[in-house]
Parts: sequence; structure tokens; C-alpha cells
Amino acid sequence: MLPWAELQEQLAAALRDPERAPPAECIGPDGARATKRFAVYRNNVFAGLIDALAESYPAVHRLLGVECFEETARRYVSQHLPRSPVLLEYGERFSEFLEQLEPLAALPYLADVARIERAWLEAYHAPEAPALDPGALAGIPAHRAADLCFTLHPSVRLVRSRSAAVTIWGLNVAPPPWASLPPDPIAESALLARPAAEVEVVCLTPGAAEFLAALAGGLTLGEASERARSVHDTFHLTEHCTALLGGGWVTAAHLRRRRTRGH
Amino acid sequence: MSVSHTAPRGPSPDAVPARAGVGLKAAHYRVILESRPPLGFFEVHAENYMGAGGPPHRYLTEIRTHYRLSVHGVGLSIGSAGPLDEPHLRRLAALVHRYEPELVSEHLAWSSHGGAFFNDLLPLPYTAETLRRVCEHLEQVQEHLGRQILLENPSTYVAFASSSYAEADFMAEVARRSGCALLLDINNVYVACTNQQCDPLQYLAQFPLAAVRQIHLAGCATDADEQGRALLIDSHDREVADRVWFLYEHVLARRGAVPTLIEWDQNVPAWDPLAAQAARADRALHACTLQDRRHVALG
Amino acid sequence: MTTRTASLAVAGALATAVTALAAPLASAGGMSMTPRQHTMAELHTGKFVRCFGVALAGHNDCYAGPGTTCAGTASRNYQGNAFKLVPTGTCTAITTPYVTIVQGHGSLSKITEAGR
Repeated sequence: MLPWAELQEQLAAALRDPERAPPAECIGPDGARATKRFAVYRNNVFAGLIDALAESYPAVHRLLGVECFEETARRYVSQHLPRSPVLLEYGERFSEFLEQLEPLAALPYLADVARIERAWLEAYHAPEAPALDPGALAGIPAHRAADLCFTLHPSVRLVRSRSAAVTIWGLNVAPPPWASLPPDPIAESALLARPAAEVEVVCLTPGAAEFLAALAGGLTLGEASERARSVHDTFHLTEHCTALLGGGWVTAAHLRRRRTRGH
Repeated sequence: MSVSHTAPRGPSPDAVPARAGVGLKAAHYRVILESRPPLGFFEVHAENYMGAGGPPHRYLTEIRTHYRLSVHGVGLSIGSAGPLDEPHLRRLAALVHRYEPELVSEHLAWSSHGGAFFNDLLPLPYTAETLRRVCEHLEQVQEHLGRQILLENPSTYVAFASSSYAEADFMAEVARRSGCALLLDINNVYVACTNQQCDPLQYLAQFPLAAVRQIHLAGCATDADEQGRALLIDSHDREVADRVWFLYEHVLARRGAVPTLIEWDQNVPAWDPLAAQAARADRALHACTLQDRRHVALG
Repeated sequence: MTTRTASLAVAGALATAVTALAAPLASAGGMSMTPRQHTMAELHTGKFVRCFGVALAGHNDCYAGPGTTCAGTASRNYQGNAFKLVPTGTCTAITTPYVTIVQGHGSLSKITEAGR
């Protein structure tokens, strides 16, 4: 009799590969090899994981259509089974996978729509954290304000795209019927955050995206402001600070020590 | 093999009343909180609440303040030959610590192998070797959680030539050796017995009903194998079959009233059709309780 | 701008923002709002379009992500091998210029907050 560990190995291999017959150990009520009965398990594995991806990526699903999405997801599942039983984390490499699928190269925005959906899910399940009370910054001396570094809320995600991915995402998660696209697409970035109960999605201007990326990367308020102005010369820092602090996207602030003395 | 014959701290007999409960679905969060339907308990899949924060925890915390709770794991892979996934066991322990559910259950099945999670409740042969392994895993889980858990009988589509125990006997032996309690899924009995061409009444006669602390009821779909023999699929996507209601009443008559869950996981309906299934289970439980009282009065 | 004037501009912007967020707000449409609610309301009405762009409506109710199930499936079959990938969904309605603006260079990066 085969040790259970070896039989389980054979079962796992047959589940992954439709070409592989189930172990002869698997029988039906007549004692004969149960090929179709075993196939129920294989279907369950694939259908369950394809459905999980469809639920994580509803806009990609709608963009591709049912059959194309299912085939795309089936290929992903066969190459990337989950590493953990926590299914809400499954599909973390789906956007890269879409980017590398040659038949979908005509949809260059698709991977970024998937990144937005992934960021949405991460924001949805992110830890809770209280927002920084803006009043806590009232005592910062004026000559040190530019040295402020912010800790962004643990739910904050930034997705930067060279396509109109945010608009395309928004239309594909809105209820039907299909709304029409604005006539002049621009490259869009998205901020996703869940500072309170619900996930909020904000389509960012290039300056705002640069500003947030700089702050997320640990740069100071002064450096982030300069970077934003370099891509967007009418960048309004006051409004951005108001939105950032008022939106609950910051949980802490500290002053970075200056490398050189001031003036 | 270390075998414990004394059960760790388990739910007290009245922790969950012998009433119907339903599986908690995100689609019903709001209607539940707004209308507070009278139910014995809610059951959640442990893995769906293993994110760090967010709406799932916000809703479950609120619902938990009004209802009794059962945490039902689908990912521990207790039937695996290899060791349990310890990080996953720690996640389960943290969840149990956070919500202090009245019931915690898992499956007689495996779902992970070689670091991959297959997302299905997969079958194992019933042998002396797997019995030992399942008991070791159950003892590890119960020790880690510091409480008794319930083990559920599976739906099966294949059998194993090497099995030396009938499933009901295997479950009885697991309960006896590990000190776990049992979760009797009557739809799984119906599905497995139909697929294995055996008699569900015979299965239930062999099943250790005294160890049963919870019952599951669900709907199943009908298919056929290559020879045209009935192949039932445990689809949880429709109402409970009439035959399963019949078997349920049969079990209640023998076992007495037990907390009973309606599972509806796919094609999740609006609240009312789901509540109607729970109401039907409640009527059966109520009739069974009356019957018990009559026996006591006459006795 | 010199470093000093730039730094003072940052201080001024921050101070104005902090003051604005701390100020008690007049009731808007009969509802009194906290500074945070007020900011979010402005984001949603598009007042911040110039700066942070457009806030999109929440999709929380229809977007709860994947869940586990103990259930099996009867009606679908994954025993075969690859089909051709032919998109038939809403992407077929998205044509130029939505496709052509993407002619960028390099790959796109997702940036998450520091410290995670």
C-alpha cells in the first residue's frame, strides 16, 4: 500500500494537470478507476480560483468578457496556485501576468486597471489607523515646515499609469449600461485609501501623483513640493496639504534632521 | 502517537442554542444589522476574516455583539500527510481569540500540499496511517487553540481502494482518540452515500451521533459519471433537497435538537429565501424539542 | 525661488491648510460637517479637481473581493487545455485614442507607502 504522503503527491499532481490520469487508487462504487469523479475535484480547484480572480478583478473581467477572462484566469491559476489559504490575498501577480500575455498586448491599459483593482482590495483589507490631527502640526516652526516627513495611512496605495486606466476602471465598475468615454484621454494615476469605513478612489493630476509618490518614498514636504512643481507648474501646495491632512491619508509626521545648517 | 482521551475545554452545552443559523455573507451584512433577524447563530469561514482590517471586521464585530458565532475553517488541511501550516494555525488562533466564537470547526479533508493551496476539500483514504495523522493534527489544533473543535464529515466523489475504515467508523475513532466533537453535514452524507452507492440511513446508524454538536444543511447539484450513475455535487447553490430534510428529521429524532446551519455559498440569494430555509430547520428543531418534552412528561 | 523663500512658501501653505482644517465650519446645506467630512465632500464634488483630481464614487457594496467556499461546482469544466484569448468584453468599445496614449517607456510601478 502506498504511503499517504506519496498518494497525496500523486493526487496533487493530477489536480494540477488535466492531462494526467488520477491515481488508480481513486475508485468509483464498482471499484474501477474514477476518472470523471476525480475530475469534479479538478473542476472545483480551477472554478473556485477563477471565481476568486473574477471577484478580485471585476473590471478586468468586464473588459475581457466572460470566456476570455476565464481562459486568462485559468492560465494564471495553472501557473500560480495560491501559497496561502487566505484567498483574499490571491492574485497578487495577476497584473504582471496580464502584461506578459501576448494576445492581450492590444489592451495596454489592462494591467494598470488590474493594479487599481489589486490596490482597491489591499486598501479594503488594510489595518486600521487613526488619522493625524492636523492641529498637531500647528506648532511646527515656519523654518522647519519644509523638513516635515509624513507617514501615510497603511491603506494608501498609489497606482501610476501612462494610460487613462482610472477612467476605464471607473466605467467598468459602474453599473450598466456602459457609459461613454470622455473624448480626450490623458495619462492618469489613482490614489486609493480607506482612512475610515469605505475605500476612496481619487484620480490624480500628474503633480498630485508626483507629490504623493515623493511623500510615500520618504521625501520631505519641501522636496515633494518641488518635485510636484517640476511636473506641474501650477501646483498648489496649500490645496494639496489640505486634501492630504483633511482626507485622513496621513497618520504621523516627523521632522527630518537637516544635513546642512540653515541660512 | 500521543492520544488524549480527555477533551480540552469545549463549548458549554448551552453555548449555542439548538436553533437554526446561517452562513454569513457580505451581501447580507446590512439587512442583518438593520432588521436583526431572530437566529440562533451566524457562521463565518475563518479565512475570510484573516485580513488585517476593513469592512469585513467592522461588520463582523457589530454582528458578533448581537449573535452567537461559529468559526468554520476551510484551510487547515487536517488530512494532509505533511505538517500543519503553523502560520495559518496562528492566524486561526488570533481570529478565535478576537471573536471568541461559541463553536470552531474544520474538515476531514486536505487542501494544501507542497506549499500550494488547492482551495477545495480534497479526499483521503481511511486507513490506520491517516487516522493517526488526522488525530495528531487535531490534537495540535486543539492544544494551540486551547479548546475543543468540531470536525466535519466530507462530501466525496471518489473512494480509495486502500481504505480500511468506513467513513462513519473513521469519524467515530477520530472523535474518540482526539477528543474532538463532530459536525454532521447531512448534505455531505447524502452526496457521499449517493456517489458511493451506499445507504445514508445505514451511514447515519453507524455515525457517532452523541459526539455531534452541530449540523450543516445545504443544497446540491445532480450530475452523472461515465456510466450514467448519479454523481451529486456539493454545490451549496440552492435550497436543501427534500431527501436531506428527511434525513435531518431522522437524525433529530435519534439525536435530539442540535444547532443547525444553512449553508448557501454560491448564487447567494436575497435574505428572505435564505431565512426561509433557516425557518424550516427551526420548525423541525422545535417539533423535535416538543417530542423530547413529551417523552420526559410521559417517562 | 531661493531655498529660503521656497521653504517659507511651504510653511505658509502648511499653516493655511492646518488653520483651514481646524476652523469651525459653517453648516453646509443644513448639515454641520467636521473639517474632514468637509474636505471629503469637496473631493467628491470635484472642487479639488485642479489639485487631487476627481474622486470616484465608492463601489464598496459590489466589491467585497473573493471569499472561500466549501462548495463544489457542477456546471463548469476545466479538463481541457488552452483556448485562444479573444477579448469580447467592454474593451472592444475602447479604441484610439485610449490605446495610443499609452505609448510610454519602461514599466509602470505601483508605489505603496513607506514603511510597509
